Amino acid sequence: MLGLERVGKTYPNGVHAIDAVSFSVGPGEIVAIVGGSGCGKSTLLRAISGLDTPSQGRVLLDGQPVTSPHEKIGIIFQEPRLLPWLSVAGNVGFGLEDWPRSERAARVADALARVGLTDKANMWPRELSGGQAQRVAIARALVPRPEVLLLDEPFSALDAFTRTDLQDHLLDLWADLRPTLVLVTHDVDEAIVLADRIMVMRPRPGHIFEEIEAELPRPRDRQSAAFDFVKRRVLAALDRSLARPARVDDSETRASSGAALWW
Amino acid sequence: MSLVQMSLAVELAAEQKQRRNGLARWGRPALGLLLPLALALGWELAVRAGFSNGRLVPPPSRIYEEFTELARSRELLRHVIATLLRVVAGFGFGTAVGTVLGAVAGYSTLVRRLVDPSLQGLRAVPSIAWIPLFILWLGIFETSKVALIAVGVFFPIYLGVMGAVLSVDRKIVEVGRAFRLSGFAMVRRILLPAVLPAYVLALRSGLGLGWMFVIAAEFMGASEGLGYLLIDGQQLGKPAEIVAAILAFAVLGKTTDWIIALVAAPFLRWEDRFNARAGES
Repeated sequence: MLGLERVGKTYPNGVHAIDAVSFSVGPGEIVAIVGGSGCGKSTLLRAISGLDTPSQGRVLLDGQPVTSPHEKIGIIFQEPRLLPWLSVAGNVGFGLEDWPRSERAARVADALARVGLTDKANMWPRELSGGQAQRVAIARALVPRPEVLLLDEPFSALDAFTRTDLQDHLLDLWADLRPTLVLVTHDVDEAIVLADRIMVMRPRPGHIFEEIEAELPRPRDRQSAAFDFVKRRVLAALDRSLARPARVDDSETRASSGAALWW
Repeated sequence: MSLVQMSLAVELAAEQKQRRNGLARWGRPALGLLLPLALALGWELAVRAGFSNGRLVPPPSRIYEEFTELARSRELLRHVIATLLRVVAGFGFGTAVGTVLGAVAGYSTLVRRLVDPSLQGLRAVPSIAWIPLFILWLGIFETSKVALIAVGVFFPIYLGVMGAVLSVDRKIVEVGRAFRLSGFAMVRRILLPAVLPAYVLALRSGLGLGWMFVIAAEFMGASEGLGYLLIDGQQLGKPAEIVAAILAFAVLGKTTDWIIALVAAPFLRWEDRFNARAGES
């Protein structure tokens, strides 16, 4: 169970990036955080990861405060950030340095098989495509079996085709180990494909503006009317969060959540 | 300095390329030998034909004679060993101090602010300017020579290591932090491999300067060494001896540089260099 209690972050230069964000995420739940650029969503994720410490409030994992990178919290960045001097297998096993050699090799081989890169184990990171490199990064983060996996716009640098592919892939991996996923994204489709709950953030200072439940059966059909319905709700919430005149008319979708079955 | 490093980088890249192309492996270096061989042969013929007496510019055959004579009498070996020992000692001290100071100054902003301005000031002094002081302090024998070489080697290595540590990608360091590496583990698993390519380059330019300064050191008074041989050849009017000593320098410098490159190569196979890639595809 991951919990945030009034987490706020003010940078030394006085920028108030996020303000009093509170929510909790149950085990195995997938939460997406969306919002315009500069709304503090990455700052929030870094605070959860322990890479940055919040200036107000606290992050709790199973009741224990998180103040520095935690062994049960993994993170995947926007870029793969593979270590260029380690082979693909070396990168995947990076978090298992203290393990006996044979166990580590077994874990790494298993993880590479899960992301479909068994044949690339002995390659250098430079020899991988962008999508393959990000799959290695996912394998590296999952190998220590984290309870919580944080993803900071993990697929935004990839082309649309590779992106959908990796989203499905991530869901398969999640189905095996059922970690809690907290995903930051600016891609509304991605948020709806992946998440049980979508948090819309509003900037200056960043805070949770609206929370939308995506009660869609899995696997989710990106073309279905129900999908489109949730998408319009999220887009409308985004418009409101940026205080723009609505581009998306969600008058029918706002009525009641039961309207999702109206079609 | 940057010129030395640039030419080293070019050489490194060229070496990689040669290793890949089987046919061009011997063909291309041979092409580079064409000009010097033609010049040498031309001069040899000119002297034989009596166009010149070759007294001041000895023909290759006379240089070869001198070289074999020096080698046979074990004189050459004695001088080479003397020079080599000085370079090794000076390079060792310069590298040790340069690496430690460079790493600390790169790692800690406080140390950098304290130490770097003074060192940059000292770097602006031509190292040969230290000779009189070193002789006064350390005497005319080995210590002052080794100290001069060490000073020459120190600066490129200090600068190279500090620059490399400063330019380590923050994003890669963050990966280390996310995996809860700290202190020594962070240095060993992230920083050290990340600075290695730049470090090897710094070592190679440092070694080049070491060879430069050993001559300066031996010019200031030595009874043996290749620098002594140069002075000896000048004072006794033996140009062939001078050229023989210069050739020995060339061979030694190239060989020691090649040894560093060779030892480092297995650790740098991962590098994503423009040349390495061109060779693969």
